[in-house]
Amino acid sequence: RFRQANRTFPKSPEILSAKTQGQKVVGWVCTYVPEELLHAAGALPVRISGYARETDLQDGTAYFYVNNCSFARSCLQLGLRGEYEYLDGFVAGSTCDAARRLFDLWCNYVPVPFSHVMTVPRKYSERANDLYFTQVLELKKGLEEHLGVGITAQALMNSIALYNESRSLLRALNDLRKLDEPPIDGSQTMEVLNASSRMPKEAFNDCLRGLIRDLDRSKPKGKGKARIMIAGSALNNADFIQSIERIGGLVVTDELCTGTRYWADPVAVGNHQEPLKAIARRYLNNFPCARMYPSEERFQRMLHLIREFRVDGVISQTIRYCSPYSNDLPLLSDVLNQNGIPMLSLDVEYGTSGSGQILTRVQAFLEMLEARRE
Amino acid sequence: MTTTAKTPDRIDAILRACRLMLRMNRARPDARKSEVLYYEMLIDYCTQLATARQQGRFVAAHTVFFPCEVLYAMDIVPMHTETTSWMTALFLGQYADLLAAGAEQGLSSEICSPHRGLAGALSIGALPRPDAVLWSNMVCDNTAKCGELLMKITGSPGFFLDRPFQRSDEEMKYFVEELRDMVAFLEAQSGLKMDWGKLSETVRHMDEQIELFREINRLREAVPSPFHPQGFLELVTVDYLFPGRPKATEYLQTLRDELATAVAEHRGAVPKERYRLMTLFMPPMYLIGFLEKLSREYGAVSATEPFFCNWGEGRLDPAKPLESVAQKSYMLPESHMFGPMSEKAIGEIVESARRYEVDGAIYYADVGCRHTCATIKLFKDALSEIDVPVLTVDCDVVDPTVTSEGEVREKLERFFELLDDRR
Ligand code: SF4
Ligand code: SF4
Repeated sequence: RFRQANRTFPKSPEILSAKTQGQKVVGWVCTYVPEELLHAAGALPVRISGYARETDLQDGTAYFYVNNCSFARSCLQLGLRGEYEYLDGFVAGSTCDAARRLFDLWCNYVPVPFSHVMTVPRKYSERANDLYFTQVLELKKGLEEHLGVGITAQALMNSIALYNESRSLLRALNDLRKLDEPPIDGSQTMEVLNASSRMPKEAFNDCLRGLIRDLDRSKPKGKGKARIMIAGSALNNADFIQSIERIGGLVVTDELCTGTRYWADPVAVGNHQEPLKAIARRYLNNFPCARMYPSEERFQRMLHLIREFRVDGVISQTIRYCSPYSNDLPLLSDVLNQNGIPMLSLDVEYGTSGSGQILTRVQAFLEMLEARRE
Repeated sequence: MTTTAKTPDRIDAILRACRLMLRMNRARPDARKSEVLYYEMLIDYCTQLATARQQGRFVAAHTVFFPCEVLYAMDIVPMHTETTSWMTALFLGQYADLLAAGAEQGLSSEICSPHRGLAGALSIGALPRPDAVLWSNMVCDNTAKCGELLMKITGSPGFFLDRPFQRSDEEMKYFVEELRDMVAFLEAQSGLKMDWGKLSETVRHMDEQIELFREINRLREAVPSPFHPQGFLELVTVDYLFPGRPKATEYLQTLRDELATAVAEHRGAVPKERYRLMTLFMPPMYLIGFLEKLSREYGAVSATEPFFCNWGEGRLDPAKPLESVAQKSYMLPESHMFGPMSEKAIGEIVESARRYEVDGAIYYADVGCRHTCATIKLFKDALSEIDVPVLTVDCDVVDPTVTSEGEVREKLERFFELLDDRR
């Protein structure tokens, strides 16, 4: 079911059927847009992504110019070609240059009835929490006006519960990858993660519960030559991970906005706390993107994952022209170095499945890690 | 990743180049008085920087659009990082070694050359080591992300100024508090105190200067254009380096008077004006002299540069200095690039094209500058609706290996032919 949701995306039967039944569909870009709020407004939140395969980005490039990350160009191209024509809304944040310009271009060339861009602070502070909260309130107001609904505290609480459950299930799934010989590999996990923001959450949670039950009874996948973390820019193509696993890398964890960063932290509603405040706090302080300052927060969380999942080496994949991640690379490389964790840094295009040259470098890296292990 | 001062810093060389320009200007009978003032200001700026260490003064390196008026009010010596590295390209024609040094720091070639060069310059000691690094998210991700590496390279403490993307009351309040924190950081690091009276005075000057910028803009609507073809670079630099400085006011008043006289006498800046152009974004620094020559040869003037010259509405209030500094950041012509590219923002470009009666627009597409290039299609489409063609010139603002003089000449000549055909 996960694979089917991904294969047919963006026009997957589940989204189209929700639409036929009169549900509004709202697209969102980047993990700083609070999905619970869209859900509590009665909409089906769908994460905007691009082609999960290598493809010519002629249209995306013509509108975006060639020097913007291929993730954003790929998303726009799908939009321009009518693949997201069902959208009733489009919500983005000021997360990075590519994301904000994707918003500008989308509003101009792929018109949707409702569009909204949020200011997302780049710091962690009470002041930043307060500012981001006002942005969440603005989004709430916009959704209520445009969708003609009232978003109640109860509806928010229900959405929080549903999304937190999804996060716990994803954590349980990922915990299985801590085993010496996990029952699920990295590429299969990627399929699950891709589906997580493309299916109605209720249906996704049911399927994931079933999958975890089945995995408890299934055969382990082997140890591989080395335990790998994938880090860097947006990644949706499970084939990329599969190509690493085919040559002996065991991908056990990641630091991706399409992976761990999506589900890492739950929304914690304290006693008497407004649910919307809790949502705002979670989204700004979640496992951070490279856009945030200071970078140390992200690096520390990466080191924590590295220890938890007993990672032997990190493969960092930076989409060309992804400034947030490429600017952090020299700093990350120092941090990993100081902690004795080897890193392979790859320049890629979004959607790549791992070409010959990339694989040769991965192969050499895996061999080096294997030798270190011995 | 440590600082290894392999080269003496280039401020002295820039200083020599500026002095030479000043001498040449003074020797020219037709030199503008404003131009002389401009070079005098540049010389003062570089001299301060060159002698700061000796005089025990505190130097703060800061990124583009960072409100350096605050530094002036604290008697801190500012070092505008992008401009000082541009000047190296513009006056000294040297940039390759800075880019190579940037690459050595681990910066990939997709990061824009100003930032690679800047990290490189600080790592090899081509720019003086600052006592503090200040950076913000004003303009782009590369600016927002550069600071931590610069802190590491220089071993200096740093402050990141988080400027909100849009301009609601809450965002303004947030920004004012960010500025307050920055002042506290600088006071703690430098041992100097903010002189609030001086900041008010600086704000008063800035307000006057913004009015002068607006007046100059209005005078530039005249046909033929009274302003020399690439003159806007002076205007940009004046606000980048000297906001609120009394001499900047003098420069702007002088320039305003010169333009007013030229307009009254119906005197154009080039011998025979044939093409009125809109310049979108920064032309390559190392081609400025060549572009100036080409403009005279073809009678092509840059009549307007909306992203560098169109100030937003509003006045500054010296009684509320920090709020005014925050407000100014939303009034800057370039601030149209920081926020959403709304219908209104695009409409203003179209309106400028009409007001300045432009024949065509030139879009300098800097290969490393992502967010500006992502607007090319938006502007092309909007301007084509009023029948203004746009030429895109692929280039790099400081790296001469990306495009040559010959290529740019050929492109511009073809564009001029197209403009002729349309007449
Ligand atoms: S973070 Fe990088 S990959 Fe993601 S949208 Fe921004 S530039 Fe593109
Ligand atoms: S050239 Fe572009 S990307 Fe580089 S600092 Fe300037 S605005 Fe930012």
